[in-house]
Order: sequence, then C-alpha cells, then structure tokens
Amino acid sequence: MAKIVVLGAGISGHVAAAHLRRKLSKEHIVEVVSPNSNYQWIPSNIWVGIGRMKSKSILFPLKPLYKKKHINYKQAKAVAFYPEGDIQLENPYVEVEYVVGEQKGKKEKVTYDYLINATGPKLNFEATEGLNPGQNKTFSVCTYNHAEHAWEGLNALIQQMKQGKKAKILIGTGHAKATCQGAAFEYILNVEQELRRHKVRDMAEITWISNEYQLGDFGMDGMLLSYGGMTMKSHEMVEMIFEDRNIKWILGAGVQKIENGIAHYENLEGEFKTENYDFAMLIPSFSGHGFKAYDKTGNDITEKLFKGFMVVDADYTSKPYEEWTVQDWPETYQNPTYKNIFAPGIAFAPPHSISKPRKSKNGTEIFPAPPRTGMPSGITAKLVADNIIDAIKSGKNELQHKGSMGNMGAACIASAGFGLTSGSGISITTFPIVPDYKTYADTQGRKLGKTFASIGLAGHWLKLALHHAFIYKAKMKPLWWLIPE
Amino acid sequence: MTKRISKYQRFKMMNPIIQFFKFLYLSLKIMVIVAGGHGGTRRVN
Ligand SMILES: Cc1cc2nc3c(=O)[nH]c(=O)nc-3n(C[C@H](O)[C@H](O)[C@H](O)COP(=O)(O)OP(=O)(O)OC[C@H]3O[C@@H](n4cnc5c(N)ncnc54)[C@H](O)[C@@H]3O)c2cc1C
Repeated sequence: MAKIVVLGAGISGHVAAAHLRRKLSKEHIVEVVSPNSNYQWIPSNIWVGIGRMKSKSILFPLKPLYKKKHINYKQAKAVAFYPEGDIQLENPYVEVEYVVGEQKGKKEKVTYDYLINATGPKLNFEATEGLNPGQNKTFSVCTYNHAEHAWEGLNALIQQMKQGKKAKILIGTGHAKATCQGAAFEYILNVEQELRRHKVRDMAEITWISNEYQLGDFGMDGMLLSYGGMTMKSHEMVEMIFEDRNIKWILGAGVQKIENGIAHYENLEGEFKTENYDFAMLIPSFSGHGFKAYDKTGNDITEKLFKGFMVVDADYTSKPYEEWTVQDWPETYQNPTYKNIFAPGIAFAPPHSISKPRKSKNGTEIFPAPPRTGMPSGITAKLVADNIIDAIKSGKNELQHKGSMGNMGAACIASAGFGLTSGSGISITTFPIVPDYKTYADTQGRKLGKTFASIGLAGHWLKLALHHAFIYKAKMKPLWWLIPE
Repeated sequence: MTKRISKYQRFKMMNPIIQFFKFLYLSLKIMVIVAGGHGGTRRVN
C-alpha cells in the first residue's frame, strides 16, 4: 500500500489526484490537502470580473466529489515539510493546519510515501505598497472572490459614466516582476468591449501598464507567429489590437506603490512616474508560500526544498540570458534531494525567467517572471502522477514520463470580449513554450506552423467550449480522462 | 483612434458562418498540437 499526498486542489493538484485515483487500486491512498473548499476554473474569472458570468458557474465544492471518488480530503494548509520525519515519527510528513470548522487552527502531521506539492503561487499583494484588492480603487481577478469585487467596482464606475463621468481605467501588472500578463490582457479587452456594450466607451480612457519591454511579450520573450497567412511578431499583433480598440500603453513599468487612484511606477529609463485612474486591475507578483523544511533532527533544510518555489530537476546555475537553454528547464519536477517529492504547475521554482531580464537605469529589475499557464500545469501534473503510478506498480523509480516546457506546446485562448455572436477571442498556440533558440534559430525559438494566432468569434466559442469541457473533466464525469490536459 | 482592422477583416472575424468553420479548424489544430505530445530536452547517453 502507498500513500500519495497532494498539496493543493487547483489545476495541477486536482489533475494529479484525479489521475492517481483512476489508475491506482483502492488499496493505495490518495489524499488532497488544500485550504480551498471549491474547485475553481480560474481562466473564466475574466468573465466574472465583467459581470457576464456568475462565480457559481466556474466552481464546485470539492468535498462531495472527493468523497464519491475515494480521495481523502483535508481542508487545511501545508505549513512545514519534514521529508525525513522527525525523532518521534519515522515517516516523512507535512505539517498541516486546518482552516475551517471545529478543527480550525489545529495542526496535524500528514505522512506520505509520495508528496506532490501543487500549491501554485502565493498572490503576493504585499510586495507592492497599497496594492490590495478592493482598496485604493484597485482590483484583481485572480480568484473568483476578487473577480466578483472587480465587477462591483467596474459596474459602479459604469453607472457613474452613464451619468457623464469621464473615467480612467488602468489594467496590467502591479509589480516590476509580475507574471500572468495574459490574464490582464484578456481583462483589458473584455472591459473595453463591455464599456462599448454599455455605451460608455467614449467616456473612458483605457491604459495598459506592464513590466513587459514590448507589447505581446507575455512573459515568454514574445513570439514570432503565423497570423492570417503572414508571419508577424506578437508585439505587432497586440499593437494592432490595442490601436484598433483605442487602448493606450505604458511599457517597461515596475509599479511600486499604489495610493487611492494613483499608481507610482519606475520605468526602464529610470524615471519615477505616476498614472491616475478611477478603476485599476493590476496582477500582483507571484511568490512561493514561504514554507519551511526540517530534517530528522529539526535542522532547517529549507534551501534543499525551496528557492521561493520548490526546487526540482532544473539547472539553477546562474548564467547570462545569452547562455540560457531549454535544457535548464525541468523535465520530471522531482526534488533532487528527496526523490519522493514532486512539484508540478506553478509550484516549481523556474531556473530563470523566459523574457530577457532588464534593469532600469537605477538598477531595478523590471521584466516579467515566467508564466506557467493552465495547460502546462495540467500536463506536468499528469506526468508526475504517471511517474508515481509507475513507481508504485513496478517498484522502480524510472521516471519515464517527461515534459519540459522547452519541448511542450501550449494553447492559450485569450478572451477578447464575451457574447455568443458579438464575442471575440485571440487563439494563440506556441511550440515550444520556452523558446528553443538552437533548434528554431531562424524563427525566434519557436516552430512557426505550431506557433500561430487567430482573432475572431471562433476564439470566443473555443474559450467557452474549453470552460465547459474542463469543468466536466474536473468534475470527473464519465470518460473525463479522454479530455486532454 | 486608428482603425487597424479593416471592415472586411472585421466582417470575416465576426461572421458566424466563416467563424464556425474556423472554430472547427482551430479545434483540430489545437488538438494536433496537444496530441503532438511533450518530452524531455536532455540527451540521455
Ligand atoms: C485571472 C486568470 C486567468 C487565467 N487564464 C488562463 C487561461 O486562459 N489559460 C491558461 O492556460 N491559464 C490561465 N491562467 C493561469 C492558470 O490559472 C494557472 O496556470 C493555473 O491555475 C496554475 O495551476 P496550479 O495548480 O499550479 O496553481 P493554482 O491553480 O493556483 O492552485 C494552487 C492550489 O494550492 C492551494 N494552496 C495554496 N496554499 C496552500 C497550502 N499552504 N497548502 C495546501 N494547498 C495550498 C490553493 O488553494 C489552490 O488550490 C489564468 C490565471 C489567472 C489568475
């Protein structure tokens, strides 16, 4: 009998738990520890944030599903890691703390044979002074609660605009090293379309603010892509979209401080500037959760497990951008010291960014951190689960399943407006996610045929179809496993 | 405001019939990329 503990019930934790349960017999225990009671399909938060979708459409409670599927579930959060156990307990364990009910605050040692750390990012709002969702007229769409508040804020402003108020809207990244530009990009286009729908577009000035050096960088160093029979750079495509929709942009901006309706930022020129707004949605920086780790005798071994996020089989040697290769990126997401610990999705520490690192004239680093979107989060979770399943079944730790972001494609359907006949989406695929500048030297590190973009109504339908398909899959309904990650 | 997308391009982007076929095409294309799989990048000697 083996016990696999999965920390986190987001995209990667839930995918891993579902595959483990499906492929392992009931004598093995699959246990999920996560503080959230609901599963949420995060990509659809964009539509919650413009009032076109209710949050209940993007979530469902985990407890009944896990009970039905024989997956143990503890609504608790991991606090500390003891990969060697301690002097009293021989087995490796994670110290967890319950977050609800009578047990709230109670700590427990959760032992494991295999551990999957799928705790994703901490939404590090504290890293930017004054950036707090719902305060200082700033909002977030990173969780369904945040997205609901964002819609309340936006709707209130729309009503004021209907009364004649001129408004400034600021959307983008709220930290010099934030990631997830794609989500902010979707939100700005959706907000722009909603303002048109409410017939107040001419009352608003909409501005994109981002730590990207160029538009369309998306934390992926930009892309050369096929678009409508042409080969185009992603910054040209995004520029076309923004100009067409009368959206202004501020680039190379590291937002440092938020006051009520004022964003203070430093740019790559080293200038300190401000931007006023009546409504802002700024993505915070993402960080690790600050977990601690201890060996058997209680010595602090945090650096063996964490570099902010979890240490895995990446090459963390510090080297200049010109020397980065796809081989730096992890393939199995296994911790090199404790081979029964894995970290798929956003939980693993990347070797470096994907975008070229840049500093302002004052030496401040201003560039996007590397994104890990839903598709790679799901794929890496599944391959980790498959390696554990193989190890349990064969007794050998061979790690046959591999998936480097340097040898993996991703599809990202960016919503550009909601509506069955008036909606729009920008469908982008890229292969590989991390550019391989050696193999695809002439096409900016990507394979052109597999790196393409398309804009139009079909993109909205696709995004909507994926919403339904992935919620069906997450609910583990019949044949759910046929739907790919 | 600079109209960067022409009326004809916009018509193509929003026409439900054209977009229905585009939807099928994109779904297939994405499936091909997903089905293309993934793997490691390090050579094992
Ligand atoms: C607004 C928005 C829109 C997006 N849109 C898209 C999109 O269109 N397409 C796309 O591919 N990607 C999109 N993404 C990215 C996608 O959501 C992420 O890639 C994905 O959620 C990462 O999965 P994960 O499981 O690693 O992390 P998460 O989904 O964040 O899950 C982390 C889990 O860990 C739990 N957890 C946290 N702390 C602890 C702890 N101490 N102990 C135990 N559990 C813990 C959390 O409660 C959560 O359940 C979007 C992201 C955002 C914010």
